Amino acid sequence: MQTRTGKLGEVRVRRLISRAIYMMSGAIGVLAFLYPFFMPTVSPAPLDMAHSQDAPLMTVTLVGLALIALLIELQGQSISAKTVALLGVLIAITSVLRFIETAMPMPGGFSPIFAPIILAGYVFGARFGFLMGAFTLLVSGLVTGGVGPWLPYQMFTAGWAGLTAGWLARGISWLTRSSNGVPSSNSLRLDILVLCLFGFVWGLLYGAIMNIWFWPFAVGPVEQTWSPGTSLGQTLSRYAAFYLITSLAWDMMRAIGNVVLIFLLGAPTLRVLNRFRRRFYFEVNPHAGRSTIT
Amino acid sequence: MQAARPSLDARAWSFWAVTVMIAASLARNPLYTALVLLVTIIVSATNVPVHNNRAILSPLRFALIVIPLSALFNCLTIHLGQHVLFRLPTWIPLLGGPVTAEGLVFGAINGLALTAIFASFAVFNHVTPVRDLVRLTPRAFHEVGVVISIALTFIPQTMRSLERIRQAQAVRGHRMRGLRDWLPIVIPLLVSGLERSMGLAEAMVARGYGAVYEKAQLLRTQALLALGTLALLGGWLLWLFVLLQRGIAMAVMLVGAGIVLGAVWQAGRVVTHTVYKPRQWTAPDTLVVLGCVLTLVILLLPLPLDRNTLYYSPFPSLSWPSFDVFVGLGFLGLLVPAMIGRGGQQPI
Repeated sequence: MQTRTGKLGEVRVRRLISRAIYMMSGAIGVLAFLYPFFMPTVSPAPLDMAHSQDAPLMTVTLVGLALIALLIELQGQSISAKTVALLGVLIAITSVLRFIETAMPMPGGFSPIFAPIILAGYVFGARFGFLMGAFTLLVSGLVTGGVGPWLPYQMFTAGWAGLTAGWLARGISWLTRSSNGVPSSNSLRLDILVLCLFGFVWGLLYGAIMNIWFWPFAVGPVEQTWSPGTSLGQTLSRYAAFYLITSLAWDMMRAIGNVVLIFLLGAPTLRVLNRFRRRFYFEVNPHAGRSTIT
Repeated sequence: MQAARPSLDARAWSFWAVTVMIAASLARNPLYTALVLLVTIIVSATNVPVHNNRAILSPLRFALIVIPLSALFNCLTIHLGQHVLFRLPTWIPLLGGPVTAEGLVFGAINGLALTAIFASFAVFNHVTPVRDLVRLTPRAFHEVGVVISIALTFIPQTMRSLERIRQAQAVRGHRMRGLRDWLPIVIPLLVSGLERSMGLAEAMVARGYGAVYEKAQLLRTQALLALGTLALLGGWLLWLFVLLQRGIAMAVMLVGAGIVLGAVWQAGRVVTHTVYKPRQWTAPDTLVVLGCVLTLVILLLPLPLDRNTLYYSPFPSLSWPSFDVFVGLGFLGLLVPAMIGRGGQQPI
């Protein structure tokens, strides 16, 4: 009895530590993307010129370390052989799409890799979505020669897209379930509608977030770029100007592309993924009083 | 039999690419940036195999897009400087005002720095085979490594499946006219891939995957990770918001980085890792690292050199950037891979 209580206590401690790691590495990731907006006002002394490039380099290192911590924690939670195989194959399929994209450039920032990441996160959950997003960018980066200082940022951002898709699914299922817990008949149509909107938002958000990795590198024009010594309001308006001029049209193509792909291919893809999810996570527990299917 | 094989270790190449990135980021003098870019081009010419099928945007194309765009964006949006080229009507938001040569030059310098960073990683991507990069995965990332290996192994199979499905649909009279026509190709591809993953998972379980060691993370490793991320986050917040404590903040972040790396080592201890024909670290690899260290010493340590020449600003009026020969010589440490490069190919 005492051993059982001890085990339960350890499980609770582990869960607590695990949540702390998620939160802190997530906070480092968020801070990495937003730190130019929080840079306090400092005197623009000549000395600052010499160190104005330290912050971006330090951020790249911190993002890399936070990603390492998060991945070790995620994989430490006993990933089953089924999840490993499923993840590997889905990443391979999505990476092939990126390979096609690299070989045949699409208009603007349109990329076919986001729709599968979002759909997989939506069906298989937040953790799976994060891993799918992060590893798709890693593997496709390896295959298409896209390894560089931008990769940890891409992995984090695509991971977040998959992660939030998992959260979205939870929210939708909570909203659409009737009192007896059965999904309503219009649920798939609603799923697609919500996912189209979600894909559109992430199409723009991905570009807006990814700009920030190099934005502080370009010390550049006073009106549009980050520099130490500017206030939050000033920095936000500079970034808005920079984003409107350089990225909005480009990112819009990605956002529209996501909507079109999810609208046209989303429903059959969701049906297939849901069918396989039921097959993958079918388990018989022989120790229970009667066989249980999870 | 001749097969592509890198002349240098992937770890040496990664260190080289990171050093180029640091050099291009820290030195904002166009003369030094151009020197770094030139060094990268020479290293690329001497090391990148002629027949390399990895789809990478060429640095030349990148430069042709990024430098003019960056220069144009800067000169249209920054209205500082004394050499006015022309004026745009002031009623145009953001763009209205004098367009100056200083703004143009500043944008071009930024584009040049980004090109140098991109070019170095293009060389890195070309010269290091994917299998060598996967081998760099630390033991702690055993499961991540398995996922990546499965994905990389399945990519050629997936491409073959895609082609087979496309041909089968074409025989049935299916024509690709729009995005909707991808449906009869994408769904069978997805289904066949998922079926394969099912079979693979069963084969993995049958071969004892996950049964050879305690899968749950050690509590100590988890605690170390939590402590490390806490120190990183705390140190960074201190660095960002308490300006007077930057020394302490940096120390806290270094401790955090050390703890996270310690946790990686701790997590890797429980995994048995075997490598088929491990690549030996050689003298040329050491030389490349020493060359990079020389560049980093020049850039980062307070040596009695004219380090002010590393930074250049064309504002308020254009002037010729200064150049220190010794600092310039320091950048030549990055040239070592070109001196010992063997065309990126050697028999195995």
